Amino acid sequence: MNGRTISRSQLAALVDDLVGSGVGVVAPVRAPDGRLDYRPVARLEEAVLDGGLPRLSLKSLFLPPTEPLFSFRKSGPDVAIDSVPTTFPPRLVLGAVPCDAAGVAALDKVMGWDYRDELWFGRREATTIVSVACGKGDASCFCGATGNGPAGTRGADLLLLPLDDGFAVEVVTPKGEALLSAHAGRFGEPPNEADVARRRAGLLEGRVEPVGSLAPVTAWLGGHFDDPVWDGIALRCHGCGACASVCPTCHCFDIVDEPEGVTRGTRRRNWDTCQTARFTLHASGHNPRSVQDARYRQRVLHKFSIYPERFGELLCTGCGRCSRACPGGMDLPDVLGAIAARAAAPAGGAA
Amino acid sequence: MNLYEPYRVKIAGLVDETPDTRTFRLEFLDPEVARTFDFKTGQFGEYSAFGAGECTFCIASSPTRRGYIECSFKTVGKATTALRDLNVGDTMGFRGPYGNHFPLERMEGSSLVFIAGGIGLAPVRSVIWNALDLRDRFKDVTIVYGARSVSDLVYKRELEEWAARADVRLHQTVDPGGETPDWAGEVGFVPTIVEKSAPSATNAYAIVCGPPIMIKFTLPVLKKLGFADDRIYTTLENRMKCGIGKCGRCNIGPVYVCKDGPVFTAEELAKLPPEF
Repeated sequence: MNGRTISRSQLAALVDDLVGSGVGVVAPVRAPDGRLDYRPVARLEEAVLDGGLPRLSLKSLFLPPTEPLFSFRKSGPDVAIDSVPTTFPPRLVLGAVPCDAAGVAALDKVMGWDYRDELWFGRREATTIVSVACGKGDASCFCGATGNGPAGTRGADLLLLPLDDGFAVEVVTPKGEALLSAHAGRFGEPPNEADVARRRAGLLEGRVEPVGSLAPVTAWLGGHFDDPVWDGIALRCHGCGACASVCPTCHCFDIVDEPEGVTRGTRRRNWDTCQTARFTLHASGHNPRSVQDARYRQRVLHKFSIYPERFGELLCTGCGRCSRACPGGMDLPDVLGAIAARAAAPAGGAA
Repeated sequence: MNLYEPYRVKIAGLVDETPDTRTFRLEFLDPEVARTFDFKTGQFGEYSAFGAGECTFCIASSPTRRGYIECSFKTVGKATTALRDLNVGDTMGFRGPYGNHFPLERMEGSSLVFIAGGIGLAPVRSVIWNALDLRDRFKDVTIVYGARSVSDLVYKRELEEWAARADVRLHQTVDPGGETPDWAGEVGFVPTIVEKSAPSATNAYAIVCGPPIMIKFTLPVLKKLGFADDRIYTTLENRMKCGIGKCGRCNIGPVYVCKDGPVFTAEELAKLPPEF
């Protein structure tokens, strides 16, 4: 680790400093039902660091479930457009789970290719992400298989590793370095290397992931669009899209106009999901993905074949939320395992 | 201003092509945009009636005609119904131009064979006028256009204009049963008429757009006539929202219709998964 340490009391003071200077601090907070949600906090005591996976990922901080793109006012034949801001107040996420931070970084690619999404990057630039290494994985987690891991730094500006009193601090990006420099007095000496190594290893202790390396899956998927493995794959899928809502990387959206009376309205961007039949339905009635198997295949291909081909990385961080949320019991690691088995079959998985 | 905010355009003219298909001529309200706006033939945009949402069409006019763009649309859903409720002088939204284009620059010095069915003539019309406005750069120009019935033929005045030109060979057809007593054109499906008119494939490109069934049966005919797959171009219309590669809706396998297309060669289409 290239960094420093910070005690719990100094971290609490850092949060006070930041909140006092107008920075919005967002952290996992215990909801009345016992689960965690990323929420604004005023003090460190409200936050639960290393408490496991929050209900929803960080995605909604950068791509809100619904957001205005602009408003319009009609007056006779004329229309005036009122823009929305593309700059955002400074914000710090404290206690991001590494798989959630990785999801945000993965989405930078699609939000920035060719056309730069100012709303996404406006929020990205205003936000510093401090991840806390995760020691609370469960049976649905497979972050290791996606290349992230419980102490993954992808998408984080700083990574905190829990020590006995406080944290070891790893600087990941210049933005993280800037935060550290601006509050240098709050941070202590570099941590004991042996202690850090022991605790890192401890994060992985006893972890058995539900699926192995995804490299063979990714390699096989591209050429097997019509493989029998897809036939009936979505029999248990209700097409509800819960998987996409909880996913840190599912980013498909709809653009709709919401009239407010006759003369005013707002064009909004709303989360959408490729799992519903209407997603690709043409006005003519033609639907390129007319059955659920095809829609589920799209979800798997997008994450493990299309995105890697176009952007060089998986569109999955292995958080396992989709498996936990599915009312039909669809389990992505199971499906990936079945595909891996198919890819490894003696026939070479030939269709 | 963000990239989902449209240009405001004023409807400068409208033509009812058929009972359910209308063409708008659109002029940009912002004089700077009006002066600088440029596109290439085959590119598309997102058109919107404020309050009803956006819909995706190719730009139906030619980039050689500056100062305005045109779009032709059939009234089918919510957004196109709202567009139809607009009138000359009304303001609507346009985002674009997006996507790739028909590589007309590569086709210079060659013959062009345009094949279209129904409202599929809209994107092809852009290429036709683009080529005709630069007529001396191309050899033979052949147009095969068909619709279900005489009343479903779009751009009727332009069909007359093309028919009258000595430097254009136009074959018009309607499906059997769609003819009127005074119909002077062909009767038969588009692929049949393509086969019958047998345009030469020598140093030629084919540009095809129409309903999927028409394209499906036209491609083998073109092959028989000697057109190589990489000299047959078409344009796809998958459902889109953003038009700029983000909303995740239009992809066919790894190919994003909005960014890699909408223009593809038959060779490229053959490599895609059958999901369009």
